[in-house]
Amino acid sequence: MPRRTNGVGVQAEDAQICVVMVGLPARGKSYIAQKAQRYLRWLSIPARTFNVGNYRRNDAPQPTADFFDMNNAEGERKRRAAAEAAVADMLQWFKSGGVVGILDATNSTKERRQWVFETVSKEGIEVIFVESKCDNEDLIMGNIRDVKTTSPDYKGQDPDAAALDFRNRIRNYEKIYKSINEDGDEGDYTYLKIMDVGKQVIINRIQDYLQSRIVYYLINLHIRPRSVWLSRHGESMLNLEGRIGGDAALSYRGEEYARKLPDLVRQSVGDDRPLTVWTSTLKRTIATARHLPKHYNQLQWKALDELDAGVCDGLTYQEIKDQYPDDFAARDDDKYNYRYRGGESYRDVVIRLEPIIMELERSEDILIISHQAVIRCIYAYFMQKDQEDSPWLPVPLHTLIKLTPRAYGTDEEKTSANIKAVSTWRGKGSTAKHEDPVPEGGI
Amino acid sequence: MAEADNGKPSCRPELGDEFNEKETDQDRTAEIAANAPRYRRKSSTFIDGIHDVSENQGDLAPAQLYSTMSGRLFHSGRIAIVMVGLPARGKTHICVSMARYLAWLGVKTRIFHLGDYRRATVGKGGQVPEDYFFPNASPSSVILRQKILKKCREDIYAWLNHENGQVAIYDAVNPTASSRRALAKEFAKHDVQTLFLESYVDDESILRENARNVKINSPDSQFVGMDPDEAAKLYLKRIDMKIPVFETMNENELNYVKMINAGQAFFYNNVSFNYLSHRIVFYLTNLHIKSRTTFFARAGPADEDSYKADGPLSEEGRVYAKRIAETLIKHREQERQALINKSGEDVPLRPLTVWTSTRLRTIQTAEPLKEMGYQVRQRSQMSQINPGVCEKMSERMIRTLYPDEVEKHELDPYHHRYPRAESYHDLAVRLEPIILELEREQNDLLIIAHESVLRVLYAYLMHCSTMDIPKLKFPRDQIIEIIPAAYQNEAKLIHVTGLDPKCVPGSPEDIRIPVPSGPPSGNLTPIPGMSSPAEMEEPPTRPPEIVVNTAKEMVADKVADED
Repeated sequence: MPRRTNGVGVQAEDAQICVVMVGLPARGKSYIAQKAQRYLRWLSIPARTFNVGNYRRNDAPQPTADFFDMNNAEGERKRRAAAEAAVADMLQWFKSGGVVGILDATNSTKERRQWVFETVSKEGIEVIFVESKCDNEDLIMGNIRDVKTTSPDYKGQDPDAAALDFRNRIRNYEKIYKSINEDGDEGDYTYLKIMDVGKQVIINRIQDYLQSRIVYYLINLHIRPRSVWLSRHGESMLNLEGRIGGDAALSYRGEEYARKLPDLVRQSVGDDRPLTVWTSTLKRTIATARHLPKHYNQLQWKALDELDAGVCDGLTYQEIKDQYPDDFAARDDDKYNYRYRGGESYRDVVIRLEPIIMELERSEDILIISHQAVIRCIYAYFMQKDQEDSPWLPVPLHTLIKLTPRAYGTDEEKTSANIKAVSTWRGKGSTAKHEDPVPEGGI
Repeated sequence: MAEADNGKPSCRPELGDEFNEKETDQDRTAEIAANAPRYRRKSSTFIDGIHDVSENQGDLAPAQLYSTMSGRLFHSGRIAIVMVGLPARGKTHICVSMARYLAWLGVKTRIFHLGDYRRATVGKGGQVPEDYFFPNASPSSVILRQKILKKCREDIYAWLNHENGQVAIYDAVNPTASSRRALAKEFAKHDVQTLFLESYVDDESILRENARNVKINSPDSQFVGMDPDEAAKLYLKRIDMKIPVFETMNENELNYVKMINAGQAFFYNNVSFNYLSHRIVFYLTNLHIKSRTTFFARAGPADEDSYKADGPLSEEGRVYAKRIAETLIKHREQERQALINKSGEDVPLRPLTVWTSTRLRTIQTAEPLKEMGYQVRQRSQMSQINPGVCEKMSERMIRTLYPDEVEKHELDPYHHRYPRAESYHDLAVRLEPIILELEREQNDLLIIAHESVLRVLYAYLMHCSTMDIPKLKFPRDQIIEIIPAAYQNEAKLIHVTGLDPKCVPGSPEDIRIPVPSGPPSGNLTPIPGMSSPAEMEEPPTRPPEIVVNTAKEMVADKVADED
């Protein structure tokens, strides 16, 4: 059985896991799948989703509900072929070093699950079924509306007709759907069953640490719609001088941003519902949050503090280059892994942010006021940015970012407060105090 | 101070002065003292400190990521974790393991075993009335029950309200739905969130196995000479008679986790779970209740002994690797014989797995065992602490080059990192996956690693203070064996002979900065028959004493202890 090896030729990691989604359409399966993939990659674990629907679309781009009727032999054949193609590709990917493969499909019958289980475990890969079971009609219709506007199956079609067709498609699945271990004869599988959006959960036969870790993450997820707002603190006195770190007060313009933030947030939220506000424990984020309405619940997290620059705290980039030339070069060379003397690396920040991400996943609407490096890491998590890119993302001051997780990705909306501020972005090799970000990419 | 519950001499000091200072109500303090028999200070690094009362809880949080003003983490407020389940369901083991893990994360946690309070109240050799657990108990039994409950609850509130505690684990049977609802309501009144944790077992083989483990260690004459299966059956029947009513959890309005058949499956009902609750579930999915042993051994020495070089074993190192393998195998066989002699039945040897890091010396130290057919797994997280730029520098040189760093290091040797180096705290955080896999492992386990890694893993299993961790010593002529038991872990030393004395002492590639001298936070008192992983530099400050509450006594106690 192929395994990744280290230099000495002995296995270092053993588990390869196939996560098999189970559940009717519009139960948030794709959402869960892509969240899990994004989370694992964020933690540097090779993960990939194989969406059977995408394979089927090659053969039947925009099928009607009839296609999904179990009596439709042609539809049945094509769907089966799509599943086989997806599984074959996944196994190929495991051979090339994949660690967690996610099979995103309904897998709604016992026969299909048994087929997947046998095909995959024959290759020495562990199987864990993840079922999302939900009978709340409002949630389902909400999901349908979401899917109907974002799914490629209904691109360019009348929204109402699409919603109706989708409801019919689900009916066809409902006829044959069997919840996992519903008959009591699937108790030997490893599975996670999430009922009513996490109100009740069953975890069965977890086999190893990585599985438990995935389960842990998934039980923290919910599929209720919500958004996350991100903002850096207002411009600080040290920002003006081009110095990093420190615990400085806001500049005059930073104060202006703090006063404008409540309006900016209210506009972006669209109604009067209160947000929960998380800040770091540093003065500049607390000051930035202080004019927000009293009924917004505010919490300070140490874990949201800026990346600790160690001995370089409070220096300008030019001073760092002069005093620690090797460090300056080493950091540009591998910014994600570089750890400041006596300080932190981006990787360290990701590790300490993990509890925040977990808490974020189980919460509703949250506004986070934090710092450049921390916002980069959180942004990278939601937008699935690579480790090579995330430490270089421009995150301008005095700008509110709204992220809304959806089934097929995360929507992003950014609002500038139109209050001038210095740029704290820095290009590779540069020691400029204030440099304009390169135009392409960025938040 | 009542240590009277078992009449054994005790190495714990009189109940702590700070405890008395905090309490204003002297009478109540006395009562708590009288009824909290297992409160004691950490007395030695090689006694499992999980039940100790520490002067500074913060020192017991090796992997704490951040701190807060309130002392509580994860915005989770105060939580009572209430155990539910009949005896022989592994509840105490679950409590103790969970407390170990939470403390490791920095969550201030204390366990309250109701059984301790009951024993303290009825006195040594005393028994609770036959109808003590009956729903229709006599008035005197009900009064006794309430008195015991009240004392335990008072301690819980004192811990949560006045001692900055965040989690109180309440270890009791809690057999009925109505009592559980009342409990949740009462805690809510005190602004404490309740999470119920039921250990539910319907697999006969697990039940019998648990009961048999109790029986093997029991001096109870009733079981002597009895067929083990018969004895287990009798024991289980006794439980059923003593506690006739038990309702498994099904209360929709309560937060609960049901652990089914020792972790085979979990069901949870989530009304208001927070991060900490999920974290606990995560931990539990890795826990099992089978008993197994962990051995720690150092990696052998190399000629080119530096972090960056990652050199192969030296000649003495190869001898060392062989000696470790032989000693361990001989020891395991002896232990098995002792067990056979004691129980009178043939006991198979538990399988042994070996973990090493991905560093060459650890891999090569495991080679003799690998050649004998033992499974060896490499874990990259177990690489030694990164010594940074100070590696191999003399102390004088470090003091000259980095005087500020030395100053910081002396203030906090656990958290401070030298330039480019890792701190012990960094190492502990990095080892978290290993901790969970350690809990998950069902085979006996030999961990071959660098001394720095052994320090941290040992600290997890034996609940050592962060002040002690950088000072723990693991000379190569000893293999450490950690034997788990429901109540606490025990450490034992296995002597390795025939080694080149040069290769025995501490790791040469460590940073040569002495941790601040001054009095150690725990008294390093040796236990007779066990020597210590902590080096005996200073003479013991107290004469050798015997540890109270050894695991075996606890288990023996269990037979008559339906709680």
